[in-house]
Amino acid sequence: MEAFADFWATYSTLIFTVGIHALLALSLWLTLSCGLLSLANAAFMGIGAYTAALLTLHLHWPFPMVLAAGGLAPAVVALVIGAPTLRLSGVYLAMATLAFGEVTRILVLNLEITGGPEGLNGIPLLTTWWHIVLILAAAGYALARLRRSRMGRAFEAIREDEVAARMMGIDVEGHKLAAFTLGAVLAGLAGALNAHSTFFISPREYGFENAVDILTMTILGGISSLIGPVLGATILTLLPELLRFLHAYRLAVNGLILIGVVLFLPTGLWDSRRLGQMLRAWRTRWEGKP
Amino acid sequence: MNRATKHLLFAAAGLLAISAVAGDLKIGVAEALTGGAAQYGVPIRNGFQLAADEINAKGGINGNKLVLVIEDEQGKKEEAINVFKKLIFQDKVLMIFGPTLSNSMFAAGPVANAAKVVAFGTSNTANGISEMGPYIFRNSVMESDVLPVTVSTAVKHYKIKKVAVIYGNDDAFTKSGYDVFKKVLEDQKIPVTTTETYVKGDVDFKAQLTKIKATNPDAVICSGLAEEAATLMVQARGLGLKVPFIGGNGFNSPKLFEVSKTAGEGTFVGSPWANTNPTPANQHFVEAYRAKYGSEPNQFAAQAFDAMTIAAAALKTVKVTGNLANDREALHAALPKVAISGATGPFKFRQSVGKDGKLAGYDADQKPFIYVIREGKFVLFTGK
Repeated sequence: MEAFADFWATYSTLIFTVGIHALLALSLWLTLSCGLLSLANAAFMGIGAYTAALLTLHLHWPFPMVLAAGGLAPAVVALVIGAPTLRLSGVYLAMATLAFGEVTRILVLNLEITGGPEGLNGIPLLTTWWHIVLILAAAGYALARLRRSRMGRAFEAIREDEVAARMMGIDVEGHKLAAFTLGAVLAGLAGALNAHSTFFISPREYGFENAVDILTMTILGGISSLIGPVLGATILTLLPELLRFLHAYRLAVNGLILIGVVLFLPTGLWDSRRLGQMLRAWRTRWEGKP
Repeated sequence: MNRATKHLLFAAAGLLAISAVAGDLKIGVAEALTGGAAQYGVPIRNGFQLAADEINAKGGINGNKLVLVIEDEQGKKEEAINVFKKLIFQDKVLMIFGPTLSNSMFAAGPVANAAKVVAFGTSNTANGISEMGPYIFRNSVMESDVLPVTVSTAVKHYKIKKVAVIYGNDDAFTKSGYDVFKKVLEDQKIPVTTTETYVKGDVDFKAQLTKIKATNPDAVICSGLAEEAATLMVQARGLGLKVPFIGGNGFNSPKLFEVSKTAGEGTFVGSPWANTNPTPANQHFVEAYRAKYGSEPNQFAAQAFDAMTIAAAALKTVKVTGNLANDREALHAALPKVAISGATGPFKFRQSVGKDGKLAGYDADQKPFIYVIREGKFVLFTGK
């Protein structure tokens, strides 16, 4: 029991970070599932984090309401900017969302209320493990249901072929906006949870680098199922910590492992189709033997 | 009692005796050794290592050796928290030095404070660091202690009537430096002709400088880091802006002269340290650093070196019992009483007051040196 207490005291923040990163990866998975390559999720996380932190620090709202506001604020922003930008597709959408992320960062950098480049400090520690588990489980369940719903099928149709989807009578714009906005809600929740578990937030945590980090987690894990992004987030968060014993070489080794994964598993770590094939091949070999 | 048991008992007693005599004093060092902040973190780590090696070579502290547990926090807040927790709960260190950036200290400081372990920053200059709690220490001098002296000295020397201000507005360090300059100028009633901004990584400051030149100031106040400041000064001279510069702590790097050469002539800089400071303690540090690392030390290395000396002085007065919580507390109680004269000159602590009005952590109570740039070198300003 004491060993567990020691372990928890040392690694609780790391475990929190895994959960929060998993939520972020799922938020991007949602937008990707509709064929939208968005780099705005880091900015949405930032909007959620700042909204939540300001509500806690200045208005002393109760934490559940703070979390709700942290999810809603980026959703409103996503609705507003989504309408014009989602007409773009592919790389052009990535560029537009990237620009939005930069605008958000610079805005936060220059506002008085956000503390400018010095950020906000002294945010109370309100996030507990069950908040993260609950939200992650709820998000996972909702997304799993969504995939099998009419809306999820529509997302998939749009991702595979937008024109064909439109011909079948799917409201392409509406569904894209829904995916983008729901993704923003999840990213905002992740931001609010993160702000209340690390005492401090600053604009540089929500820049381009972080947008790419989220994308890496999602793609590395694989986007064919919900397990992929969660797995990707877990591995990318834990790997640098597990390699700590390598000291100066750990980031180099970290990079090499990632290159290896991308080279040999281009569809991500968790590809349900590949896993299914492997399972079948293994089974036939097993059962084929007398 | 049979012989085997006797032997065992003797062995156990022997082991106990050994561990009690040669107890290692474990000190955590959490600095940014990779990533963008590594340019500060690496010299800081070197400063700690140099001081610890010197202390151990002289027989340690009351016979105990200093053992540094060095961890990389990458200049990221989550990493800083993870490293602090690892050092506190797993490596069971007596105290922690670091982290490198003020931002990381805002995230990791509360962790140490809650665990009642001293977190000692050597490079955190932001306001509000020591207000986080009684276990937060720093020996980095705040800009608000340095800049008033720098400005008033320069104003007196050059008979300055009005100044222009330029600063980097996307960096926590340069922005808070600007806030202090602004307040100092208001307090000393010096009118500002114009205030210009730039962002990190800018290489062309001609637009801002042309505007500044048009307002005809007597001096330019610049809150920036050495890289940008050097280019800025070269371009100012190119545009015919001949007035002197007044800089913050960010100027205090040998990098300033690599680009600016002699363009910075006459610039006033206030700092707790410069390599030309002739005191024996500083000359010893500069030479030892050069000999060990083959490079020039900077202010961050000097402050780290002094911080280790401060911690060693405190540890000397502490009777290490082996009970971790008691030892940590004893060290915490001993630290504020330390006063030394190190590479950065005479040093003692000053307790700060937290947001709730209670006494909180400890800041540096140190007089800054004012330097003026002459022929591409920092020269101690003596009033002439």
